[in-house]
Amino acid sequence: MNKKIVINPLTRISGFMEIDVTVEHHKVVDVKTKGNLFRGFEQMLVNRNPFDAVYFTQRICGICSAAHSMASSLALEDALNIELLEQGRYLRDIIHCCEFLQNHIRHFYQYTVPDFVKLDQVSLVESNHEDFRLPQTVNDRMSKHYFESLAISRSAHQMLAVLGGKAPHNHGVFIGGITTKATSEKIVSLDSLLQPIAQFIEEKMIPDVYEIAYYYPEYFRLGGGYGNLLTYGAFNDYKELGTLYVNPLVSTLDSVETFDETNIREKIDYSWYKAKENTYKPEELVAEPDMDKEKAYSWVKAPRYKDLPFEVGPLARLILSGRSDLGISAMDRTIARALEAKKIVEIMQTLLNEVIPNVETQKKYELPEAASGRGLVDTTRGALGHWLKINEKKISFYQIITPSTWDFSTRDEKGLRGVAEEALIGTPIQNPDAPAEIGRILRSFDPCMSCATHVYSPGNQVKTIKVF
Amino acid sequence: MTEQVFPPESLTNEAIAERLSTTVRRSVNKGLIQKKKVVYLELNGCSGNIISLLNGQNPSFEYTLTSMVDLRYSNSLMAAEGEQAMEQLMSTIDDEFILAVEGAVALKNNGLYNVIGRYKGEPLTGLQAVKWFGEKASHILAVGACATHGGVSAAKPNPSESVGLKEVLPDKDIIMLPGCPVHPDWFLGTLAHLILYGEPDMDNLNRPLMFYSTLIHDRCPRRPFFDRGIFAEKLSDKTCLFKLGCRGPVTRTDCPTRQWNGHVNWPIGDDTPCIGCASFGFPDRMEPFISFDTTRTVKDE
Repeated sequence: MNKKIVINPLTRISGFMEIDVTVEHHKVVDVKTKGNLFRGFEQMLVNRNPFDAVYFTQRICGICSAAHSMASSLALEDALNIELLEQGRYLRDIIHCCEFLQNHIRHFYQYTVPDFVKLDQVSLVESNHEDFRLPQTVNDRMSKHYFESLAISRSAHQMLAVLGGKAPHNHGVFIGGITTKATSEKIVSLDSLLQPIAQFIEEKMIPDVYEIAYYYPEYFRLGGGYGNLLTYGAFNDYKELGTLYVNPLVSTLDSVETFDETNIREKIDYSWYKAKENTYKPEELVAEPDMDKEKAYSWVKAPRYKDLPFEVGPLARLILSGRSDLGISAMDRTIARALEAKKIVEIMQTLLNEVIPNVETQKKYELPEAASGRGLVDTTRGALGHWLKINEKKISFYQIITPSTWDFSTRDEKGLRGVAEEALIGTPIQNPDAPAEIGRILRSFDPCMSCATHVYSPGNQVKTIKVF
Repeated sequence: MTEQVFPPESLTNEAIAERLSTTVRRSVNKGLIQKKKVVYLELNGCSGNIISLLNGQNPSFEYTLTSMVDLRYSNSLMAAEGEQAMEQLMSTIDDEFILAVEGAVALKNNGLYNVIGRYKGEPLTGLQAVKWFGEKASHILAVGACATHGGVSAAKPNPSESVGLKEVLPDKDIIMLPGCPVHPDWFLGTLAHLILYGEPDMDNLNRPLMFYSTLIHDRCPRRPFFDRGIFAEKLSDKTCLFKLGCRGPVTRTDCPTRQWNGHVNWPIGDDTPCIGCASFGFPDRMEPFISFDTTRTVKDE
């Protein structure tokens, strides 16, 4: 029996997504993930002042805005030939660390936990699916942590504001490092704010994620997908500290190699865009929106590396950094996010120890008549790239490929599904009328878009059913 | 109208917001007032305002949720998904509720550039949702720059044809809370006021005076540098950022005294210009955000 399931909105993500799933004999046989929001930043950025890209692009995303300030600053430094002082880099990376902590804590407690924990305190977090397995005492403890975590993630943003002015949409990350000098008072303030966050991650978040894993063990076998992993590198290649986390690497099931950016292509065969080619290099062209395109089903494009889809994000980073105890599954992905939060705390502590107070990282910058640059950086959800060109001192081209574009891409001309689509294939659906599995697997990727989920049964009459 | 006297810095609005929320909690606990239902719609934008609201302190977001309002719908936070979430939304439409909207309304392709869910098998656009709920809401809050006037979602050339709420609900009274994002106190304080006393005093552009009455420039701690003509030449300088493009002289918020994220810092405190994110022209009319050559020295003038 075929059945189509449509989930729209997929809640507890950043943005809007719809998902279409076709279920046959209680197994997922086809999936489409659909990004449901389009604003057109790449078109908007053209003709703007290049310096403004740093603040403007942050408005792409409210939960990971600092990531875009990182990528655009790197792209501008590349274009303007500015060498970053190591002290500037430390400070900027500290701001980025704060965003990782804020994001991972919120994603786990506010977005993931309600899938597994029954939260009865307020009607907003009442769930209607029934697959809740935690013993009452454990469930109660985690519901408490749901609310406790709000104060912790809030103070992660507070740390961000100490150096970045405000959050979301910080002012601190900029060409050269950050816009302000780190005083000893700020450094101590950060160190002090970090301690309860570190303690919460160690004593609550990590035990909580393992506890959930214990009661939902089948998720170690679900949501795997291709197994191709990619990172642009994170907290790597410091002049004196070396690599604190992971170098730029890609791996398939049978090989690991150094990442080479010339292998990136973007494809739009199944996305609502038109361009003279359906496959192009990021720096070549920006596709125009076209909602009338046949076959297309999403606003998300399809980036590929050597023509293959790759998973990006915390799990990819941890495995590529050498952690061998993790597999590739929905549960491993969720565990990886918690483990990475701890790793980020350690990195931030290391960087804080290296900061020298009152170092000037800013200059009066001048714009070239024409230049081009790119900024590639791994951020909370994975690999983020900005490519820009300057002409007559204005932005003439801007291309952005976000981590969720990698993970939630559409299929390509070869029929290869996107990473998340593939991860759902074969998933047994216990109760097709109330599939808890789909949302859990998709959220393990921490999607950042506007989207929703559907399940289709080709040939049969489409039946939209509730997904809890 | 009686003359408004704005308090000196020691009496800033953190205290007012805190007093308001404490009173709300007491009143709810005593059964004097009912928790109001709130529908929070995220439309064409970055969902950064809801993240900012999570950063709220006094009142905190958890306090707001448990003690002040019954939040019926929030795409970012609610446990239900899919049709169930839509039903939770739709079941509220005949109740009394406050509508809060962040993000712009995308008009292109009849709203299809921003689909927020699927109701009875059909895509529900942000445009349709705002029309349905805007008509029925007891009060409407436009939360953040995209909702108040289109904001970044409507930046040139505005590919999604995004507009602010007022364009879609021209006959409705909409409380405007501009900012990119909104400061959590601006939203939560206005909400508390609504619940306790009804609409707060507002200016001619419908911004609550308690948060948006005074130009940043008039309360800027760097004002003395401006008055003496001492200007920063680059970011990180501790003097007046006017010549780098500061929009403090045209932007009305209480950022200089309230500050952000638990009152620890703000853009000018971070040695960068205000980019006018709470001005109605943001972003297009506030650009360039940062420029190093806004003025020239003219000889022999």
